Amino acid sequence: MNHTLRISPRLFAIVPAAVAINLVVGTVVKELSLPVFLDTVGTVLVAVLAGWRAGALVGTVSQLLIGLLTGYQYLPFVLIQWLLALITSLATNRHGFSSLWRTVAWGAAAGLCCGTLSSVISYYLFGGITGGGVSWVVTALRSLGASQPMAVFAGSSSTDVLDKGIVIVVVGVLLRALPKRILGRFPWAARAVAK
Amino acid sequence: MISLARRAHPFTAGAITVALIALALVLPSASQTVVLYGITALLALAAGAGAGVRRGLIAVFPLWVLLFLLQGVLGEAPRVAAPWGGTLSQPGLLWALSQGSRLAVIATASLAFASAFDPHRFLQAAIARRWPFGAAFLLVATLDAAERLGQQARQLREAQRTRGVHVTGSMATRVRALPALIFPLLLASLTEADDRALALETRGLMIQGPRAAIDPPRDSAIDRVVRWVALACVIATVIWRIRR
Repeated sequence: MNHTLRISPRLFAIVPAAVAINLVVGTVVKELSLPVFLDTVGTVLVAVLAGWRAGALVGTVSQLLIGLLTGYQYLPFVLIQWLLALITSLATNRHGFSSLWRTVAWGAAAGLCCGTLSSVISYYLFGGITGGGVSWVVTALRSLGASQPMAVFAGSSSTDVLDKGIVIVVVGVLLRALPKRILGRFPWAARAVAK
Repeated sequence: MISLARRAHPFTAGAITVALIALALVLPSASQTVVLYGITALLALAAGAGAGVRRGLIAVFPLWVLLFLLQGVLGEAPRVAAPWGGTLSQPGLLWALSQGSRLAVIATASLAFASAFDPHRFLQAAIARRWPFGAAFLLVATLDAAERLGQQARQLREAQRTRGVHVTGSMATRVRALPALIFPLLLASLTEADDRALALETRGLMIQGPRAAIDPPRDSAIDRVVRWVALACVIATVIWRIRR
């Protein structure tokens, strides 16, 4: 795994673009009214291209910027971005993007881990209410008699498995579709898709 | 007329925002956080950042409704009679009020700050204060990139629609539209990165040492006093909370 982060001019160019990808893809998905967020595509992409520290940097800047648009009440969820960058980097190291099935498996694992962390943050810091569709799922499960921790865990993890799974699959498809000339500039990414 | 929030030094607005958020997290009871929300809204209105109050209300209103439902209606015993019949959870209501007002303070303070935030003024202030240039540059470059990529996304959406991609309709139709809308954006961002990296390098981004701010914002005595008062308020509240 890449343990050092040297801010090179290329990273300075990629990080703002990746943060913008997080924001813009999130907006595109919202406009299509799909039941996912996909606002971590840039984080995963940079974690594959330049290591987990760079991915975590993209996640942090994204969360700070999203805070400027929606308020900083959701800042604790930056931990999800860091965890996702770490898992993506692990997947990169173990050729997790070499085939569609491997990518799907890593996506599901990332979704489960992020969903668990998300439910812990949501339960302890927000009492299970973070707005959006997940909170309505939690409220519906509570009204059906589920305990609060169970309702929060089921709501958060089911959404995150789907969301983070799709994000990792999207990045995997993109990496395999990249021209060799571009892929060659990112040794980490080339390793991730190598069989 | 330029509002007080825009005239103030960028660090002053940031310091007040951070102080309000810290106070919201430190204050324990519902009545205190409700009063703090009132103070936050009044400060934002007085500073000419009323848009932040409005956007804050829009952001937290769904949370208030959900908190009331989940904690007040479905919460634990002891229960009290509701004015319209039935019962409500007493501890749940108190928790919902405390958490709801706490979130409202955080949302209102940060959105009021955002409504008056000028990235280029902030960059100049950061350079003048010898802050790490990379961090300040990343923030400003990201804001620029978000605007540029957002514009590209809108153009791409229209272009794909003219080529027959449907962006409305059933869930399956909308899911099928997704690759056509996002893959070109991702590819364009990656291919542009090298050109931008070269441009940044030739313009001396990586050069170490102090930089000169071209037009640094004025840091008046009032700005400095306000920042110290904000810090003192937070420290005093933390000490009060620990001793209590």
